[in-house]
Amino acid sequence: MTEPNEVDILLVEDNPDDLELTLHALRREHLANNIFAVRDGEEAVEFLFCTGRFQQRDFDHLPRLVLLDLKLPKLTGLEVLKRVKQDPRTKALPVVVLTSSKEERDLIASYNLGANSYIQKPVDFDRFREIVKSTGLYWMVINQRPLSNPAQESRAASQP
Amino acid sequence: MTSAPKILLVDDNPADANLTCEVLAASEHPAQVSTVQDGEQALMFLHRVGQFAEAPRPDLIILDLNLPRKDGRAVLAEVKADPKLNELPVVIFTTSHSPLDIARCYELGANSYVSKPGNLGQFFSAVHSIENFWFHFASLPN
Amino acid sequence: MTQSSNDGNSNQRLHVLLIEDAPSDAEIEIAELRHGGFDVTADVVDTGDQVRTHLGKNSYDVILADYSLPNFRVMDTLDILREKNLSVPMILVTGALNSETAVECVKQGAVDYVLKDNVGRLVHCVRRALEDTRLRQERTRAQEQLALKVEELARSNCDLEQFAYVASHDLQEPLRMVAAYTQLLAERYRGKLDSTADRYIAYAVEGATRMQALLEDLLAFSRIGRNGVTPAPTDVNTAIEEVLRNLAFTLKEHSVTITCNPLPTILADRFQLVQLFQNLIGNAIKFRGKAAPSITISADKLGEEWVFSVFDNGIGIAAEHKEFIFKIFQRLHTRAEHPGNGVGLAICRKIVEHNGGRIWVESELGRGSNFRFTFPAANADRTGKKEDYDLSPQDLVSR
Repeated sequence: MTEPNEVDILLVEDNPDDLELTLHALRREHLANNIFAVRDGEEAVEFLFCTGRFQQRDFDHLPRLVLLDLKLPKLTGLEVLKRVKQDPRTKALPVVVLTSSKEERDLIASYNLGANSYIQKPVDFDRFREIVKSTGLYWMVINQRPLSNPAQESRAASQP
Repeated sequence: MTSAPKILLVDDNPADANLTCEVLAASEHPAQVSTVQDGEQALMFLHRVGQFAEAPRPDLIILDLNLPRKDGRAVLAEVKADPKLNELPVVIFTTSHSPLDIARCYELGANSYVSKPGNLGQFFSAVHSIENFWFHFASLPN
Repeated sequence: MTQSSNDGNSNQRLHVLLIEDAPSDAEIEIAELRHGGFDVTADVVDTGDQVRTHLGKNSYDVILADYSLPNFRVMDTLDILREKNLSVPMILVTGALNSETAVECVKQGAVDYVLKDNVGRLVHCVRRALEDTRLRQERTRAQEQLALKVEELARSNCDLEQFAYVASHDLQEPLRMVAAYTQLLAERYRGKLDSTADRYIAYAVEGATRMQALLEDLLAFSRIGRNGVTPAPTDVNTAIEEVLRNLAFTLKEHSVTITCNPLPTILADRFQLVQLFQNLIGNAIKFRGKAAPSITISADKLGEEWVFSVFDNGIGIAAEHKEFIFKIFQRLHTRAEHPGNGVGLAICRKIVEHNGGRIWVESELGRGSNFRFTFPAANADRTGKKEDYDLSPQDLVSR
């Protein structure tokens, strides 16, 4: 399975159908080599903060992108988002909320808490795939991610 | 979006601003773009102060970093620290590839960071991708 | 008391400090030196204070000292010399001196000793001491000059690199404007102006885009060794995988076959490694012959080094050009024949040399090229685990 320290995208999704769809859409576009999925808020927090089941992970190998559902068991998506964005070790991590919620207050709350973006999952299967594809493309290719160790990274380097 | 989406473009290079606007204008549902050339004006626009009293609230801010009077980093910091403005998505769009700049912007709360490509075709692609993602796939606060 | 010679011949001048309490012995020694061809000026002293005062006031070519003075430990002279930062050779001229003491004195810093009943040796001793001093001074001076030159060179290099970086970096922005807008002109006004205008605009676009590529390469070149990355154990196989991903489109376009033998893990900057291989593989494709490009990458351990090979079936390189191609901006073909701006191999060489290796090419015109370079073998990694030097290639494949 995927090396927990080499994850490109962390998927936080408890609905097995949505998870399957998302994984499939991402893999089709070859947007990431390693996609890791967790099924509840607690697991997500353990993964990102390198505790509990994921003690062997370290902060130098944060994923490049987190796709975060809001309706999660054990710990809500908003709570996960809050913890990630309030901790200096994880604050810079791109977190895109990917949720079926149509509530305006969820949207506002997410952006206020520092979500990098917010996407509503459509009901339509094809549109869902299209959204995942475009989201993946934008955040993995167009967007420049923050680098955990600026001196070590490649393409973006242009230090005097 | 029922009405045209609104963009605040902050770029001190008129040639770049022009290129960006051209791409944005070529979209199927072109956004309404307001351009300012320095950081102070950007903040005045967002606070609807002075000549910008009637300024619309933007749906998206595209922000360059190296600006006169108040640089992009300062603008970003102020916007993200202001509870009335911090939910506005800010996309940093700059020539700087410096990892230090990138890290700093994310720390200050930038939603996204896109480097301006040197090649014209890629530049157009980048602006198009920004417009496409934020207005056709993401949901934005109204 | 001082005595000076009134000899008109041009004998070698010798200013001597004689630490001796027996005037007759002093006279004998001075006479011996004059007899040996020296133009002697001598100061004779016999107490520590006098030694100190004279060394402070005058400059001497040699010190002759009697070991067994009652009022003064003669070897203390050496301490005085050290204190005053002087380096005058001191020869002991003394009565019976057992050999152990003599050796001890030489160890402490006396350059030689002469027994008073064998005073004939004095001249020879003095000449030898003077010669040694002269040689030593010359060597020190040469070393100092070398150090200065090295410092100058390092500073000059640093300035040049800084300049190259700043120039390339700051030139990129206005150039981007020129490139973008000439391209826009070309697109928007094609067919609307006359054909001459189309042609002129095309030349401008070509010039601008070429300059952009050149600046990017120059920036990459000047960045090597300046980005502060500490080399870490890097699996070369994964670096190659990254290169193949980067070149995916080109590889497909030209139906390139890549054969990759198992490659080791070495201490390197991963980004540089990718740059290095990407340039070499890119070149192999650029300078292809009629057949579809076929490239083989392999590595052999030779002593404390890994020797890598990137072998291709391209157009090859003539013997007289094999050194030349690694120089920056040197190209062997016109742009119409083969693309490129002559920086790729210079970058490769800079990376390899920065890592303590060397790079060369084995090739014949029309028979492909084998670009080879060395990298020191990785030893202990950060956690102190030692890597087994004798891993066979098969062991590495399983990673």
